[in-house]
Amino acid sequence: MSELERRLLALEIDVPEAPDLAAAVLARVEGRPFPWRRTVVLAIALLAVAIAAAFAVPQARTSILRFFHLGGAAVERVETLPPAVERSGLGRPTSLAGARRAVGLPLALPPLDRKPARAYVLDDAVATVLLRAHGQPVLLSEFRSTDEAYLKKLVGGSTIVEPLRVRGEPGLWIEGAPHTLTYVDRSGRFRERTILIRGNVLLWLHGPLTLRLEGMLTKAQAFRLAGQIR
Amino acid sequence: MVDRPLDEPELVERARRGDVRAWETIVRRYQGIAFRTAYVLSGNAADAEEAAQDGFVKAYRALGRFRRGSPLRPWLLRIVANEARNRRRSAARRERLALRAAVEARPGDAVPSPEAALLDRESQEQLLAAVEHLSDDHHDAVACRYFLQLSEEETATALGVRRGTVKSRLARALERLREELS
Repeated sequence: MSELERRLLALEIDVPEAPDLAAAVLARVEGRPFPWRRTVVLAIALLAVAIAAAFAVPQARTSILRFFHLGGAAVERVETLPPAVERSGLGRPTSLAGARRAVGLPLALPPLDRKPARAYVLDDAVATVLLRAHGQPVLLSEFRSTDEAYLKKLVGGSTIVEPLRVRGEPGLWIEGAPHTLTYVDRSGRFRERTILIRGNVLLWLHGPLTLRLEGMLTKAQAFRLAGQIR
Repeated sequence: MVDRPLDEPELVERARRGDVRAWETIVRRYQGIAFRTAYVLSGNAADAEEAAQDGFVKAYRALGRFRRGSPLRPWLLRIVANEARNRRRSAARRERLALRAAVEARPGDAVPSPEAALLDRESQEQLLAAVEHLSDDHHDAVACRYFLQLSEEETATALGVRRGTVKSRLARALERLREELS
């Protein structure tokens, strides 16, 4: 080995401490069918879409069967869900303070022994932190409540959408089959990317914020956790 | 009976069958080296975290294509390295790495004079700056082989090239470094 190689091996690069990635990775893969079973399901779904496309009358959009509006979110029940992709990330990683600055609002959290070291920000509009509740990873997303919807969810016929109240504020419980999500960024641009959401979701108003819990929690567990968030 | 920890092939088999807890064990085992790999390739902590996280998610979804009996670590690092280099390409930059100050002298080491320590530090900084001036291909080969101390075989898998290509890239990179430092 040459002297230069020895010097390269001896260089001590200042690498920041590695973050704990396990919870975030688990939240993204949990509740998914096995890779090949999903491939088969996808292949069947694609075949169904191809057959449907071959016989379909062109239509601008799927008919909306029912519409719910809640703070910065809208939920539409439609006959057919649009094509969606798996979520590829939670956004840009940052600190809690960084997320507060990015979305321009204080973030509400449940009482925790240790605050999450990291938050994720999507287009400076939606801040997300990863929590653990009832032994499972849960995503808590927060965004500004407005007349215009930041997030739009489309749900199919077999998904339950139940209006309810969390600490006296209106909310919606969305449970069951996968549903899709599109969103508007802080500058008002509409993001066409439609993401497939597989967990259950509780959406509710909290002061100037609309809060959203996503995970495999039951309605009672999500409701209890939401009640602790201040 | 005492439960023994599962070995890697068993964990991979379980994860292939959809056991996310088995995958969690693998993530915890390799998240350190995955993050370091992404960091030395991109130089940016936020990009490195995203690349490592996305790498583990993509690897889980690609387990059906993982060849049974192959070593898992280089296969995982290849996916993470790809993610890091894609981010670097889309950001059109590679941020400069920083050196860590050597704070502890080993027992028995002679205590260097302040001047000698300064000269040593300067020469390390010059060497790192010269590495950062290399082309992306040469930089990545040097970073994997020397900064991460991967074997040539692992470097080849992580970078998705043949072992011979790693050897020739390293030889050319060392030549360039000697020229720049002379």
